Amino acid sequence: MEKQSAAYRAASPRHTAGRRWCGWALAGLALLAIGCHYRRHESAPLDSPPDVRIPVGPIPGPKTQIRLPMNPYQNNKEALMEGRQMFVEFNCAGCHGGHGGGGMGPSLRDRKWLYGSSDAHIFSSIAEGRGKGMPAWGTRLSADQIWKIVAYIKSLRTPEEPDPPLVPPHPIVPKKAP
Amino acid sequence: MMWRSLRWSWLMAASLTGIFAWHALAARHQSPPASRAGLMQVPGQQADIHLVSPVPNGNWTLPNGDFATTRYSPLDQINSTNVKNLKVVTTFSDGIPHGHEGGPLVVNNTLYMVTPFPNDLIALDLTKPGFPMKWKFDPHPNPIAQGEACCDTVNRGASYSQGKVVYATLDDHVVAVDAQTGNAVWDTKVGNVHAGETITMAPLIVHGVVIAGDSGGEIGVRGRVTGLDLNNGKILWRAFSTGSDQDVRLGSGFHPYYAKDRGKNLGIASWPAGAWKHGGGTVWGWISYDPETNLIFYGSGNPGPWNEDQRPGSNHWTCTIWARDPQSGYAKWAYQIDPHDAWDYDAVMENIALDMNWQGHMRRLLIHPGRNGFVMVLDRNTGQLLSAKKYLPDVNWARGYNLITGLPEVNPAAIAHTAAYAMHICPSSTGAKDFTPSSFSPQTGLLYIPAHNTCMDRKESQANYIEGTPYLGSSNNMYPGPGGYQGELIAWNLQQGKKVWGIKDAVLPVYCGVLSTGGGLVFYGTMEGWFRAVDARTGKVLWQFHTGSGIIGDPMTFLGPHGKQYVAIYSGIGGWMGAFAQPSMSLDDPYAGLGAAGAMKSIKKYSAPGDTLYIFSL
Repeated sequence: MEKQSAAYRAASPRHTAGRRWCGWALAGLALLAIGCHYRRHESAPLDSPPDVRIPVGPIPGPKTQIRLPMNPYQNNKEALMEGRQMFVEFNCAGCHGGHGGGGMGPSLRDRKWLYGSSDAHIFSSIAEGRGKGMPAWGTRLSADQIWKIVAYIKSLRTPEEPDPPLVPPHPIVPKKAP
Repeated sequence: MMWRSLRWSWLMAASLTGIFAWHALAARHQSPPASRAGLMQVPGQQADIHLVSPVPNGNWTLPNGDFATTRYSPLDQINSTNVKNLKVVTTFSDGIPHGHEGGPLVVNNTLYMVTPFPNDLIALDLTKPGFPMKWKFDPHPNPIAQGEACCDTVNRGASYSQGKVVYATLDDHVVAVDAQTGNAVWDTKVGNVHAGETITMAPLIVHGVVIAGDSGGEIGVRGRVTGLDLNNGKILWRAFSTGSDQDVRLGSGFHPYYAKDRGKNLGIASWPAGAWKHGGGTVWGWISYDPETNLIFYGSGNPGPWNEDQRPGSNHWTCTIWARDPQSGYAKWAYQIDPHDAWDYDAVMENIALDMNWQGHMRRLLIHPGRNGFVMVLDRNTGQLLSAKKYLPDVNWARGYNLITGLPEVNPAAIAHTAAYAMHICPSSTGAKDFTPSSFSPQTGLLYIPAHNTCMDRKESQANYIEGTPYLGSSNNMYPGPGGYQGELIAWNLQQGKKVWGIKDAVLPVYCGVLSTGGGLVFYGTMEGWFRAVDARTGKVLWQFHTGSGIIGDPMTFLGPHGKQYVAIYSGIGGWMGAFAQPSMSLDDPYAGLGAAGAMKSIKKYSAPGDTLYIFSL
């Protein structure tokens, strides 16, 4: 704990207030809409229908349009790099593989998404956590940080992937002990 | 049949007499005199070898059959002459397609298997055709445990004693189940899954004390062993692998053999301030017991985080072999085999207790085929290292061991730092072997080691401790070692410290346990799914059967109704190296699965996940 990284410190409430504000501002209308939604939900009467923002399951009955929030950092190279850095520093890599190929948690490089493939769905999985042990990172990371991690995850296996999983070059025969 | 049962009665009587005589002698002599030859003999056994606790009869009540963890069964109905006629009697699918490590128990014509998460205990009735299910016990473990377990949601089995089957669940409970009814007798929570503490190991029961370890060395947990009362599940004692001497349960009777392992509160002093609290040293392997010395033996796992630059010091008591009193938990000796581990070479591999002629004298030995690539032979009275020989030719992290100091002669080029990759470290973190237990046959005097020839490149980075998440700080890339093979079943001569024969697997590691029998056979399986019977002397494959999935479990043998011998094995790929067969893993990231993906690139071609128990007989 003595040697926390910059990103780690940024996640603590004391350090994130400014970044979080900045993130929201950058995120634009879609995110502000979510923010309003949160407040409205808090004051809603008890018998109103529950507030569904990012549905994971199919929507029953007649087709209802739900506008999912957009990722403000799509195709933003700097954000992808920051996302990659946080993916390592917040220990995502320990569970999901060094470059998202899977391990304790499932692969993020394949095209299988258990809880939806949109940026908003991935945001929701990271922020809220999932029942098999995915932590609810919304308690530690700002929305801004999570969107950057989402942007990195969506870049995996694409030409835009920062720091792709290359193997260091080396001769085939290992050295013997001296 | 008559002759056979008579012979077994004789064998049992001889064994029991042997145990009592042995105990009487053990009480009087500190080191066993050669004149005791012949006491604990099983048919065909070499004269200068004594088993301290042979598998007692046709049952298999402990994870490895015997307390000493030889995994040798004297059963000989199935032998090198007739094994070619071995056939499947029945199969049982538990419906959970994850790594099936460990093996079942058999007690009084009932077979007990523990499944991977959600850790059901299933009892099969061996008296009825097809061995139907008697009952299933569901402990309802917390689902978040699946995301806290480092290396697949595995379980390595149960122990039986006094009418109870006892095992641990992935979410840190130890449960005792009535062997007749399948009802829970007690359920004790021994850890906090939210902090990354899980359990995968098989507890051992010694004199009414259940001894259970823990997992989570990759999540920054603090390793420990817990002793519980078999009658009621009450925690009797707890011994940590880091912290104060009191926490580690080092009392006045603690006498480590080597000077490097002596000193006050080494479990704190050998770490940077406070780092011991997340220092690992988990106990996720096998516990063995020696009735002669009344000691349990086990090893503690890797230190955390993996990045060794963050924890200067020897990091006691991680990567340590322990001898403790099973009743009190107090240590008699300890020997840290990999001080300041920089490779994840957990010392949790099996510790086999046997008495053998060692350089002209009968000695009480403890054999530790290490993840670090060395077969380590210790005096189990004292913890003195008598020999450490490489069992794979390309092990290069250390040149050897200094028998005077007990220290490895480490190759500095094999220690990774943050600046650049340290290249060609052998073995990789997955070890020259992993948790899968070896077997020792007193007929041949050989140790049968399931080995991996895997190497790695490694680079360190800053690890951040966030409770319940991985605490690593290391990037690893593994690949098959030189020589054109990645797995080998090795028959090893302990006294000469050299290989007698080996069966190589070109593509995949040998990642299963081994069984040797009085029929002159060695049973083992491959990750491709082959289950094999091999001539214990020559290594010739005498019989093989292709199961539905890769084998990472431990073969066992038992007598069913009418005294008929059976052999059983799980087929269900998984575990650290086998989990890449799962559809949730991508192999285009060699750094996936803590860096083992690079060594397992072809696994999906050879094996799909499975969930099946196979039972064979003539």
